[in-house]
Amino acid sequence: MTAFVLRRLLLFVPTLWVIATLTFFMVRLAPGGPFNAERDIPQAAREQLMRQYGLDRPLGEQYVTFLANAVRLDFGPSYKFPTRQVREIIAEGFRVSAELGGWALLVAVLLGVPIGVIAALRQNSALDAAAMAAALAGVSVPNFVLGPLLVLVFSLTLYWLPPALWQGPESRVLPVLTLATAYVAYVARLTRAGMLEVLRQDFIRTARAKGLPERRVVFQHALKLGVLPVVSYLGPAAAGLIMGSLVVEQIFAVPGLGRYLVNGAFNRDYTLVMGVVLFYAGFLMALNLLVDVAYAWLDPRVELR
Amino acid sequence: MLRLRRVLLVAAALLATGCAPRGDAVRAAAHGPLYFGDVTPPRANVLRYNNGAEPETIDPGLATGQPDGRLVRTLFEGLTVSDPRTLEPLPGQAYRWERSADGLTCTFHLRPGLRWSDGTPLTARDFVWSWLRVLRPETGAKYGGLLHPVAGAEAFNRGELKDEAKVGLAAPDESTLVVRLAQPTPYFLHLTSLPPCLPAPRHVVERWQERWTLPGHIVSNGAFVLATWRQNDRFELARNPRYWDAGHVRLDRVTAYSIEDLNTATNLYKAGALDWNTSGYVPSPFIPYLRAYSDFRSGPYQAVYFYSISVTRAPFDDVWVRRALNYAVDRNAIARDLLKGTREPWGNLTPRGYPDYRRPPGLSYDPEKARACLARAGYPGGKGFRRIAILFNTSEDHKRIAEAIQAMWTRVLGIPVELQNMEWGSYMQASTALQYDVARRSWIGDYLDPGTFLEIMRTGDGNNRTGWRDPRYDRLLRDAAVELDAARRMEQLAAAESLLLADGPVIPIYHYATAELVKPYVRGVHQNALDTHPLKDIWIDRGWRRGAPPLAGRATPEDRRSSIVRVAGTQPGFAGPPPAGGPRPRRAADGPPGTASR
Repeated sequence: MTAFVLRRLLLFVPTLWVIATLTFFMVRLAPGGPFNAERDIPQAAREQLMRQYGLDRPLGEQYVTFLANAVRLDFGPSYKFPTRQVREIIAEGFRVSAELGGWALLVAVLLGVPIGVIAALRQNSALDAAAMAAALAGVSVPNFVLGPLLVLVFSLTLYWLPPALWQGPESRVLPVLTLATAYVAYVARLTRAGMLEVLRQDFIRTARAKGLPERRVVFQHALKLGVLPVVSYLGPAAAGLIMGSLVVEQIFAVPGLGRYLVNGAFNRDYTLVMGVVLFYAGFLMALNLLVDVAYAWLDPRVELR
Repeated sequence: MLRLRRVLLVAAALLATGCAPRGDAVRAAAHGPLYFGDVTPPRANVLRYNNGAEPETIDPGLATGQPDGRLVRTLFEGLTVSDPRTLEPLPGQAYRWERSADGLTCTFHLRPGLRWSDGTPLTARDFVWSWLRVLRPETGAKYGGLLHPVAGAEAFNRGELKDEAKVGLAAPDESTLVVRLAQPTPYFLHLTSLPPCLPAPRHVVERWQERWTLPGHIVSNGAFVLATWRQNDRFELARNPRYWDAGHVRLDRVTAYSIEDLNTATNLYKAGALDWNTSGYVPSPFIPYLRAYSDFRSGPYQAVYFYSISVTRAPFDDVWVRRALNYAVDRNAIARDLLKGTREPWGNLTPRGYPDYRRPPGLSYDPEKARACLARAGYPGGKGFRRIAILFNTSEDHKRIAEAIQAMWTRVLGIPVELQNMEWGSYMQASTALQYDVARRSWIGDYLDPGTFLEIMRTGDGNNRTGWRDPRYDRLLRDAAVELDAARRMEQLAAAESLLLADGPVIPIYHYATAELVKPYVRGVHQNALDTHPLKDIWIDRGWRRGAPPLAGRATPEDRRSSIVRVAGTQPGFAGPPPAGGPRPRRAADGPPGTASR
């Protein structure tokens, strides 16, 4: 187990290096530069800015400097927001994105799993059909439709909840719901499928035959194995929720990290793009590792090597 | 279930009509003025407004964008401030000034006892230091060009002149600033309220370097100071007790939100979470519907949308081709039909609103003339004309306009036209490198003078981006720059513009308009051509009740006219610019509730 984790951690290094190298050269291949503005910048000022950020150096030298600094997690100041270090932008934005994604993940599990279990237990009933139809709808409605719709109903018609901004607990409700809906639906479907498979197995029949109450059969024996597909999905889901909240952040004016990646690329903010891409890559790899470990822990048949 | 269905139906209908409840408009006819959403005045004496996209910096010397500028001009005050209605320079940190007869020397007298928000005295030396800081090439200030009228400033800014003592700035004593100009720049006073001319606190800048603008470090001299800042979220400003006119600042605090999304900002306004959704943050499809509301305001904005032509490329090196393209654009169809009247069709490069400037007649739609010009260039009926491309950066509006113009050129001239869409960085690169045929452009003026538009077409100007050069044009601008007689100068500028329009490197399309939402209880937000609003003059009328008229006024045709006439100082009942040295007159609309003039 320890050896497995260590080996995976060591693999992070070459992976991140490849990502860093690819991103470094790709952002520089994009036409234009960070100091192209609609209102032209005087030549002297442009040269000064290029010097200040080391952009007047040969590309190879810039690359080496960048790698050396990246190892120390120092990406330098953003070009677009010169008062701030990329590191600070990531730290502040990620705190918010993580909170939003964390709540959404919690909602996805707390709603999705019970819905899936109930649907599985009442297979082929009207309840099952309704739950699965709702799940299908939830997966299909994109959040740029769902978000404005929720705002229209709950903020602009009923005046129950604020339409946007990240202040106070009530402001969390709509963005979290918007972000979570698709995941609730997906988790419900996974749970249902997992439960249906487990409930058909011999050990469940044995448990029922020996007279265990249905509640214990379901919660103690079936659920633990039935949610395994959900657990393996949690890794990608967490990554998707925390990193893929760009649209929701935009709709609800949530000051998260998502938009920096997109805007950074548009603005040719090299340092910001590099920092955010590497951060996301590292985060994703760490999550995947975590899922593998959790999987082994839940299912004794899985062996980590 | 039925109720739910009704809610969903209403929701769908509202989405379809761009969130403008038309039912309300019908009700309004019966029940007086109609407001967009909640109009309950806030309990606290705090203004909450949308400042727009996250500012890049709030360092006055480095700020360039409008969101940056709005905050910078709230936190810092220059020698002058601009009149919220007419934009005329009013006394700010300087209480009076003199101009020498040759127009080349400006002497500013600072108010006695000026202090930074940390209590440090503010002197004329602070202005000299701040201006030199902007001009020093090492600072990398993108807007340093605005200080180039100062003698020696341009050479110093370029790094050609090393000795800063040769720049025409001097502080003979603590409260006197003497500025020597290279040319009698008539609009110089207008510049002194713009961000690059605002003072920066030397003791703070030198201590914290580029991080001096962070909360906890920043020290300023304007009506408000920065209390907190959350990235991509908001700036909280508090009243500055050390401000010279603190007694007249009526807001306790200001919350400036950084909301980028237009729909989100408008939703927040409707829900009553914003008191003011500034211009540029109202989605343009909403505007035709919002016109029915008393809290929606629109007026001319000093900016022009145009196409530029890369004149060094064949066949655009032929003036007749450029003229043909110009005459074949139906500006009325674009502004009135496509943009639903939210913009004014415009045939000039310079916008409206410059006192004493007689604009030459603008270009207009004339299909006959267009075809004749194209035939004269050697392409009768478009025969033999190569396929050309219209370059624009990604945006739904740009695309629709480009499609309309594509259709016009194909229909009128019979030439093949394609569209070329690029994301922002690539578009900037292509248009700067002249790697395009025809490109979408726009220009926003900095100050109230036609020069702010005409200068960009000078030979080799970084904003020219057409490759167009004409020594006669350059000479007219040069002559105007040294002309002492204001009327003659305006004539020279007008001659330059008519030369430009006749030669056709640009195709003006429409005149921009402001579009903003201001709650009726917000007072002192006046419309002006530059869309600049000193927050110092704004206040919240907590006693306002539905049915009372909005004091800030609506955009009516009268308003539009007066904003132009007033600049000339001839508006009846208007006090005109205050006499130099006199105290700043209080205006009726700034007075207590109930003394409104409108």
